[in-house]
Amino acid sequence: MSAVVPLPAPRQRRPAGPINTRATFRMRFSTMAVVGLRMMFHDKLKMFGTLAGVIFATVLSNQQAGTFLGLIYKNVMFVENAGADVWIVPANTETIQAGKLVSDSNLMAAKVTPGVAEAAPILFGNAVMSLPGGGSQPVTLVGAKAPWVLGGPWNIVQGERELLGRPDTMFFEDSDREYLGNLNLRSVRELNGHNVVAGGFTWGLLPFGPSYAFADFDLARSLLRVDNDQLHFVLVKVAPGADPKDVRSRLQAALTDVKVMTRAEYKSSIVRYVLTKTPIGITFGTSTLFGLVVGLVIVSLSMFSAVVDNVREFGTLKAIGATNTDLAKLLFVQSVTYAVMGTLVGLFLVTRLAEGIRSAKLALQLIPELFIGTSVLMIGLCVFASTLALLRLRKVEPAMVFR
Amino acid sequence: MNQQVAVDVKNVTKTYGSGATAYTALKGVDFHAEPGEFVMLSGPSGSGKTTLLSILGCVLSPSSGYVGLLGEDISVAKEKDLPRLRLQYVGFVFQAHNLLASLTATENIAMLLRLRGWDQKDAVKEAHHLLDQVDLSDKYHSRPGELSGGQRQRVAIARALAGSPPVILADEPTAALDAHNGLRITEILRELAKEHGHTVVVVTHDNRIFHLGDRIVRIEDGLILKE
Ligand SMILES: Nc1ncnc2c1ncn2[C@@H]1O[C@H](COP(=O)(O)OP(=O)(O)OP(=O)(O)O)[C@@H](O)[C@H]1O
Ligand SMILES: [Mg+2]
Repeated sequence: MSAVVPLPAPRQRRPAGPINTRATFRMRFSTMAVVGLRMMFHDKLKMFGTLAGVIFATVLSNQQAGTFLGLIYKNVMFVENAGADVWIVPANTETIQAGKLVSDSNLMAAKVTPGVAEAAPILFGNAVMSLPGGGSQPVTLVGAKAPWVLGGPWNIVQGERELLGRPDTMFFEDSDREYLGNLNLRSVRELNGHNVVAGGFTWGLLPFGPSYAFADFDLARSLLRVDNDQLHFVLVKVAPGADPKDVRSRLQAALTDVKVMTRAEYKSSIVRYVLTKTPIGITFGTSTLFGLVVGLVIVSLSMFSAVVDNVREFGTLKAIGATNTDLAKLLFVQSVTYAVMGTLVGLFLVTRLAEGIRSAKLALQLIPELFIGTSVLMIGLCVFASTLALLRLRKVEPAMVFR
Repeated sequence: MNQQVAVDVKNVTKTYGSGATAYTALKGVDFHAEPGEFVMLSGPSGSGKTTLLSILGCVLSPSSGYVGLLGEDISVAKEKDLPRLRLQYVGFVFQAHNLLASLTATENIAMLLRLRGWDQKDAVKEAHHLLDQVDLSDKYHSRPGELSGGQRQRVAIARALAGSPPVILADEPTAALDAHNGLRITEILRELAKEHGHTVVVVTHDNRIFHLGDRIVRIEDGLILKE
């Protein structure tokens, strides 16, 4: 911008003459910001209408994305919580489900691989519980070796982990007790044709399929009728200071017919599987997009109509010397303000909503990344939405103010 | 720069539209105003008064002819330079006050000063000073909706004078006011303009204020009548 010519002292108005001072970018920006905010807050009804659009988009997209992440979490929760840094699974495994067995020679080999602190097998399969009143319910049976840390129960709300050492004793999911025929501590149930007793309960261990039930490895072996030299997965804990990736590479090189993954790799593999091989990704992606599109339309139209309503004021601004760029600054400040205000309210509401509906079956995963992503997205959305208003503003003829 | 003539218009034409719907509103207008002069521009409806004023105010470009403001040829200015020329040379008073409803009297004036490069503190001081001059010392913080028609038009005059542009253009500034207020604001405009040397062109058919003009120029059917 051009040099600023010294201004006369205020109070003593200078004589009429060409005005050679010019506003810098910052001065124009702050002036337009103030005018834009004043106009915005002047028409409160329209402001709330626009905010409603942002809030709607924020709540709906976060609710959908949070539910989606919640479902993703259900799929990865076992891998996340089983305590293993590295997993040895059957070749071609993509997600976590009952499936092929591998030889226990893998377990022996893993135990002597450098960098491995601990290796334990687990059995992972479907079992059916016969209910006292007739009928039956499936559970996802996990068999782990004592002390039941690698692959054992977590989020225990009743009972001690060590109870798994007692004969025929198992842990079940607390929120499924009713579903499992009013299961109580020391209730006896027939599981795959064998009587077991409920020794304790976990909370929230509901994956996509039937809830997790934990047994000692040998009990699980007889329930699932698995041969002595077979197992489903080997869970590996690496030695302090060892890099799980190095250990994974070493194990993969040493073992054949199995796939070795770090915990992070296994989790991403599961997420990839859910996104590409199940309709979950598309379903939630579509409804999230829908929320964003509806928000975009509401914000676009209400900012556009605010311009139409105030077209005379915008014409006046142009007539006295504001440029299209100045008015773009005004709309920019308005749209960012709408985005920030709307996102704050929306995120507050969606957090409350999440608290309200939180249960063992469904928990919205509202992670910080989601909130940051939403804020950035909403700013982008609102600025983009203001382009419709800007196109209208560009058409405003300053000459209109004389008519 | 030719300081003798503040506003200089030579053989200006303005045609709206094109083809079959083209309409020539100005058909070769010659007009000039000396620095500090207070000129009334009068004529029947549709004669081209607003069109001429818009061209003087760098809001419209002429179709042909010369337009100079203090010696600068604005008829050749590019469209994108017009806003800058308006900030540099022109203050406007409109028929309706055209103040921003969401801003106070002070802010309406200070906003324009900011666009003219004043810093915030000085702009507010100057706005207060201008409001004092139009006798609105007690209305600094009032919004247009809280002011009477005459008061609003006085704020509009203060805004037109903000930063002391050389040329003040007013299109029927009294049309929305009663006789008393119409006369009053024209007197204020004239007094303040004379005091600081503004050149003023007032479009009006209000014969109650004609006597305040140094000169009355008549326009009819796109042509200036001989004085
Ligand atoms: N944007 C436009 N497009 C087409 N014709 C126009 C336009 N603006 C004005 N005109 C025509 O140009 C002529 C002059 O208009 P102008 O507004 O300058 O008249 P005026 O003298 O100000 O009239 P009034 O006293 O009614 O305000 C009129 O016939 C009008 O219809
Ligand atoms: Mg007119």
